[in-house]
Amino acid sequence: MGIDRRLLASFDWILLFNILAIISLGLVILYSAGYNPDSNGILVFGYNLPIKSAAFAKQLTYLALGFFIFLFTLFIPPSFLQKIAYPLFIISFLALIFVLTLGLLSHGSKRWFDLGFIHVQPSEFAKFSLILALAKSLSSKSYKIGGYKLRNLFFPFILIFLPAALILKQPDLGTALSVIVIGCSMILFFGINLRSLILIFILSCFVVPSSWYWLLKPYQKRRVMALINPEADPLGSGYHIIQSKIAVGSGGLFGKGFLNGTQAQLEFLPERSTDFVFSVLAEEWGFAGCILVLLLYFSLMNRLLRVAYQTKDNFSCLLVVGITAMVFFHVVINVGMVLGLFPVVGLPLPLFSYGGSSLLLTTFSMGIVMGISMRRFSYFSGTY
Amino acid sequence: MQDRHSSHLSSKAKNLNLILLLFFCVFVLRLWNLQIIKGEYFLDRSENNRRRKIYIPPPRGLIHDRNGAVLVKNRPSFYVELVKEDAENIHGTIQLLSELTGRSVDELKKRLKSSGKVKTGSQGIPIILDADFEELIKVKANQYRLRGIRIGALPVRYYLNEDLAAHILGYIREINAAQLLSPKFAGYRRSDLVGQYGVEAKLEDYLQGKRGEKGIIVNAKGSWVREEYYKQEKPGHKLFLTIDLKTQIAAEKALANRTGVVIALDPNTGGILALVSKPSFSPNLFARELSESQWNNLILSPEKPLTNRGVQGIYPPGSLFKVITAVAGLEEGIISNAEKINCPGYYSIGKSRRFKCHKEGGHGLVNMTEAIEKSCNVYFYTLGQRLGIDRIHRYASMFGFGEETGFDLMKEARGLVPSREWKKKAYSKPEDKRWYPGETPSVSIGQGALSVTPLQMVKAIAAFANGGFLVKPKIVNSIETSLGVKLKDETSVALESLPINQSSINEVVNGMYNVVNSEAGTGRRARIHPKYGYLVGKTGTAQKKSLNLEKKGERLAWFTGFAPKDNPQIVALALVESGEGGGFDSAPIVKEVVEAFLGRFDSPHDLVEKD
Repeated sequence: MGIDRRLLASFDWILLFNILAIISLGLVILYSAGYNPDSNGILVFGYNLPIKSAAFAKQLTYLALGFFIFLFTLFIPPSFLQKIAYPLFIISFLALIFVLTLGLLSHGSKRWFDLGFIHVQPSEFAKFSLILALAKSLSSKSYKIGGYKLRNLFFPFILIFLPAALILKQPDLGTALSVIVIGCSMILFFGINLRSLILIFILSCFVVPSSWYWLLKPYQKRRVMALINPEADPLGSGYHIIQSKIAVGSGGLFGKGFLNGTQAQLEFLPERSTDFVFSVLAEEWGFAGCILVLLLYFSLMNRLLRVAYQTKDNFSCLLVVGITAMVFFHVVINVGMVLGLFPVVGLPLPLFSYGGSSLLLTTFSMGIVMGISMRRFSYFSGTY
Repeated sequence: MQDRHSSHLSSKAKNLNLILLLFFCVFVLRLWNLQIIKGEYFLDRSENNRRRKIYIPPPRGLIHDRNGAVLVKNRPSFYVELVKEDAENIHGTIQLLSELTGRSVDELKKRLKSSGKVKTGSQGIPIILDADFEELIKVKANQYRLRGIRIGALPVRYYLNEDLAAHILGYIREINAAQLLSPKFAGYRRSDLVGQYGVEAKLEDYLQGKRGEKGIIVNAKGSWVREEYYKQEKPGHKLFLTIDLKTQIAAEKALANRTGVVIALDPNTGGILALVSKPSFSPNLFARELSESQWNNLILSPEKPLTNRGVQGIYPPGSLFKVITAVAGLEEGIISNAEKINCPGYYSIGKSRRFKCHKEGGHGLVNMTEAIEKSCNVYFYTLGQRLGIDRIHRYASMFGFGEETGFDLMKEARGLVPSREWKKKAYSKPEDKRWYPGETPSVSIGQGALSVTPLQMVKAIAAFANGGFLVKPKIVNSIETSLGVKLKDETSVALESLPINQSSINEVVNGMYNVVNSEAGTGRRARIHPKYGYLVGKTGTAQKKSLNLEKKGERLAWFTGFAPKDNPQIVALALVESGEGGGFDSAPIVKEVVEAFLGRFDSPHDLVEKD
């Protein structure tokens, strides 16, 4: 496999810089979120580096790993992805089953495999394999005027709900919901018959309230209730929302400054390097910093959609749209949660939050998109 | 694989930008709302999260006697506290602590519960207050097994001589709800300790000092992160009382456990040298935690230990009052010292009423000096009858009876000096409103409706000692800052001169001299060692009529006097509520007190702790 000069010429540098900008800002915030003034620094090959943030240091190693994965994915042609879509889906499905029995029990749920050096979250990879399988399944259907009817879409819906059900069993409501939302938005984008859409809407009117009684666990209900009135239980279920809003609000226009966020540094803010890393940003860099980061995400997704627009085949287009939807929903749900607009569900902020699985999945996905972007002027089965 | 519809699907991708824009706008608006519009509010809340104020109680001012001997100070009190955050197994720790100290588990847990749902973090909850030395050693030695247990110290008010002068010194206690609301206690906080009685209450402003304040930064667990600022606390001012410790000790000892009062006063300044009121209480009880039953015992006891009998108790003065009747007679010119009145042992008004003298068969012919010396009732019945009630009332009032002495340490009782006027006001039936001549003799020997406080009596006698001046009893000599800078000096005094001739006073004092120093004087037992000069005084024995705690056959035993006769420096009074007679019970007390005062420099200050 060699790289054609034409491929290099059409490499999307802007998209790369956009990604790098988000990652770099994320590292700055992570340094602060994981900052421990009493730390002795970190030992690297016998050198003691004055890095006083364990989360920052670990994220750097994940990033190095992510970079190689990113480079590697650039070489994967879409046709190969199309070939491995279903096998990959089955593997990730099996992984989801295994994690329920062999997984690491943490905070009352089984979400991780302990591979010794790294904890792997199979649900993150299930997300990607679902996007891949859906793209393959949908793109194989021939065009229908007026959109597809439900019976045409039976298989894609099965693809969505199988992993979603297993993830819900872990339990991980946030990821399960994001799987459903990503999948459904791909189908919606692909085109669905208006009558079928109305049918789905009516159906969901029954499913959502009944799920409140049958599906949601008490702690999940409390989180939803906490959103409506967080002050009812300020030390319990409302604590995250209250402290996050205090952190965000107290940041003001320009923030309290790097390492100066009191909510973050004095540990009032929970989960500050993972799910609530945006609160740290808002507290220390203020409104200005938030706007900058939101703009970067906006332009990133804008750029991803531009790649989708430029694709020449439905598989690639659906794949890129699916990846965009994944990034989009993660950003929206995470920031919405931090700002007290959505209930507290444990979803990371892509490229920002500390955590290997999320970071590797995102860099991997970005590599796929950039690979597609590179090949936009070549024929699908053409020269590489 | 080519796809015919690729352009169709991918062209839709551009429309998705609208959704992006929509969410972007929602987030920007939300951020604007949280950070810009409500920014101040959330900044406040984030500051509240991390800032804690700790108040440091200032050391309360020390209280000294007139010579600088310490009467009240602060001692370190050690307590054992539990830091919930650090304790691994609270129940096990308490169990072990209970085994070590011998205190019950319930007792130790009591305070743990009452501390409630406060988010304590690294703040401890005291579970043993005022731990004793042995407990501390055991806790310290087992510290490794008692995780979360800490030992701390805080200053506690300490009254060096337990109940000595308790009614003067008073006590401190937690500020009550009413005080918190009153403007006098502006700036005080809940659970502050304030003077509630005696000098502690009266001079609260001087003694309190200024509390320090520490601003600290805490983290989410409530653990101390760093100190932001520290406003140093200022110790309270030092008080120097007019009390003389040696005299006070002598007074306490002399009265012993009998119910009654001893007062000693400097007739030249009005400074109280000693004041004992029994039964008493220990102010140290209040410095620790007073249990409800202890408190009830103090306030509900029929003996009323919290009452300062010296200023709040009212008693018939008995024969002590004869000196007033005598002065009135001399001043009004209705009798001279030379005039003799026959005492047949009784005095009759009309046909039916007979007033007895205490000596059966009578004293025979007595002049004033003899009448005072022997406390002849008939002489004073006669004199009183000649004076009439209104003149008795006028002279008694002149000497300060029936009104407050001006000793503003605490609320004073006024007592009562009867008069026609008073009867008119006090009674409703017309026949009761009249003053009957038969009522006057009782009053002229200090009985009847007449009642006085011991301090009023001392104040009146002081006027005999200092040549006719009314003093205002006081307790504070001077006030200094904790560093010794004089703030207030009350050694100078303004005396109120009485319109009484010195000769009249001298006549009465001559009689009082005989009371103590003649062979047959009723107050022989008050005679002091000749090296101190002569003590002059008057005995009194009265029926306990104005007191509730009446027991048959028990009488009020009074004695009051001053010394040395030629240059009086101390007036002393003793009252024993259930005695045989003034000469028997109270005269020796006064002797002890006066000798202790006049001989206070004879021996070195062995009893005295100086700071």
